[in-house]
Amino acid sequence: MEPIVLFAMVLFFLVIGVPIAVSLGLSSVLFILIFSNDSMASIALKLFEAQQHYTLLAIPFFILSSAFLSTGGVAQRIIRFSIAMVGFFPGGLAMAGVFACMMFAALCGSSPATVVAIGSIVIGGMRQAGYTRDFAAGVICNAGTLGILIPPSIVMVVYAASTDVSVGRMFLAGNIPGLLAGVMLMVGIFIAAWIKKIPAQPWAGFEEIFESALDAGWGLFLIVIILGGIYGGIFTPTEAAAVAAVYAFFIALFVYRDMGPLKGVPWRQDGEGLGRAAARNLGRTAVALVPACFHRDTQKTMIEAGRVTLMLMFIIANALLFAHVLTTERIPQTVTDAFISAGLEPWMFLVVVNVLLLLGGQFMEPSGLLLIVAPVVFPIAIEMGIDPIHLGIIMVVNMEIGMITPPVGLNLFVTSGITGMSVMQVVRAASPWLAILFTFLIIVTYVPWVSTWLPNSLMGPQTVN
Amino acid sequence: MLSRFVNRLEEGAIAFFLGGMVLITFSQVVARYVFNSGAVWALELTTFFFAWLVLLGISYGVRIGAHLGVDAFVKMLPRRYERPLVLFAGLCCCAYAAIMLFGALEYWSKIYRFGIDTEDLYVPRVIVELLYSGQEGFRYEPIGIDRWVPYSVLPIGMALLLFRFAQATYLIAIGKRELLIAGHEAEEAVAEAQSELQRSESPGQSEHTSGGRS
Repeated sequence: MEPIVLFAMVLFFLVIGVPIAVSLGLSSVLFILIFSNDSMASIALKLFEAQQHYTLLAIPFFILSSAFLSTGGVAQRIIRFSIAMVGFFPGGLAMAGVFACMMFAALCGSSPATVVAIGSIVIGGMRQAGYTRDFAAGVICNAGTLGILIPPSIVMVVYAASTDVSVGRMFLAGNIPGLLAGVMLMVGIFIAAWIKKIPAQPWAGFEEIFESALDAGWGLFLIVIILGGIYGGIFTPTEAAAVAAVYAFFIALFVYRDMGPLKGVPWRQDGEGLGRAAARNLGRTAVALVPACFHRDTQKTMIEAGRVTLMLMFIIANALLFAHVLTTERIPQTVTDAFISAGLEPWMFLVVVNVLLLLGGQFMEPSGLLLIVAPVVFPIAIEMGIDPIHLGIIMVVNMEIGMITPPVGLNLFVTSGITGMSVMQVVRAASPWLAILFTFLIIVTYVPWVSTWLPNSLMGPQTVN
Repeated sequence: MLSRFVNRLEEGAIAFFLGGMVLITFSQVVARYVFNSGAVWALELTTFFFAWLVLLGISYGVRIGAHLGVDAFVKMLPRRYERPLVLFAGLCCCAYAAIMLFGALEYWSKIYRFGIDTEDLYVPRVIVELLYSGQEGFRYEPIGIDRWVPYSVLPIGMALLLFRFAQATYLIAIGKRELLIAGHEAEEAVAEAQSELQRSESPGQSEHTSGGRS
């Protein structure tokens, strides 16, 4: 009975427009005031303690690095590289859109942001090349969800923090499913384009591939730093995130020069010798190094990242408080016992998890939802012998799909915003591709190998304690 | 004038704490690999910076309407029902902040009375020597920083939060603000893309220049 009151309160507050963080926190506080006699001092302390968590410390750093690199300029470079790579297939421009979303997802952890950055450039280009608006919007709306699956992903950091699995493992585990989802979408596009006879782009030539790869590579090297650094044991995930933030700052201001004191300064002026250009660039970089840290653009990016950080951490802190209430009320144990005694098979349990997350993903921010669901679902999964990493990937993929399922999928709204289509039109446009992603969800859920093979073969088998 | 100053202050604090966290953590990595050393206080200071960033920042988030919520249902209602509901939501937020402020004060006064030290933070040696080196028989001994110092952000942050929530509720009541929440995290970026779309479509033809820059 009591747990129902708790969940009913959260739902009520959410519906009347109370911020997610406050809905969770206020419900927990009221529940404690009514049903238990925990001191308010220890409750307030929880808000402070969320920031003392070493794993969660990676979040502001990842947000900052993505704030520096998720700009229009970087999106443009990635799209150019994608078109050079896959543009010559039938439906090549759409495939390039998916490919670009996958790469952008690796720089920026947010799905809606990926849709905005890639979509606002690619959708227009696709329509000029003769695609229908529905085709263009549907593809990008779906491909944009890859943002939280391809590492580095903040949702994965949150999962790792709440269940004590390793962040490095989760990041590695996200790679194959992320690639698989991208390839499945691209194959779908290829078939659709074959049937509809959508024209291909001309073959760009190896020179263009090489040049665009070099240009986009500066940004994409970030993934190598993060994954290589964590896997190679050079630094902890939190340190990797901090290094990534500094790297992203350097690339954005001194290599790409989309912002900051060197904005618009060319790498090589007309008729300039190679040595002279090198000396000029080196000198200007050295001179601008300190001012760049305090430049207006840097400040703006920092404040923007800070805004996202505090918004997310406020939700996370309150979700942790909520999870604390759940645990002290022994709700996870009650649910586990009920599940085990009902004699449910693991596959049935996974269906329940799928449905629960798809529904919850409609209302809640992914990290907050994960922190609430994980403490309840995790012990059951362990009891049933499901791999914790596999469970994590299932949860992430579910929340990803929650973003494009009507009625309130986030990516649907964002796509409608950037294309000027109504939400209903976007839903219709997205549905054929949604079917592909649902197939993908089933594969990920029932073929554990997809998520566990890479981390297990690189880091040794997962041990459950 | 005052509001612009407060804005600068809030944004400056956010940038300072975030930048500080990055620099401390990054310099620790550099120190470990280049100088083969590290500072014990670095991690604790970083987590305190993080706490200050978030706890001071959430009130700023309320002011600029950055906190996420579900706006789909409220927006579906006819306007005359919407306003009272949003007002009620505002009052709920005030209640939350008030309870948290109460709890924070209780906790903070407790650790203030007991005077517990932080784990690894000490008053910098330079300051200690400046203050006491004139005294007879001075020998440097590390002075720990009390826990109530970093934890003071908890009551301060909650008081600011209560103030901002009360202010927002008042603004909604007099009709100068519509919602407490943002529907999703990319709201600003979408609005920007939208206005660009309108600009490009208004001259009659939709000319998108894409892939032109490299």
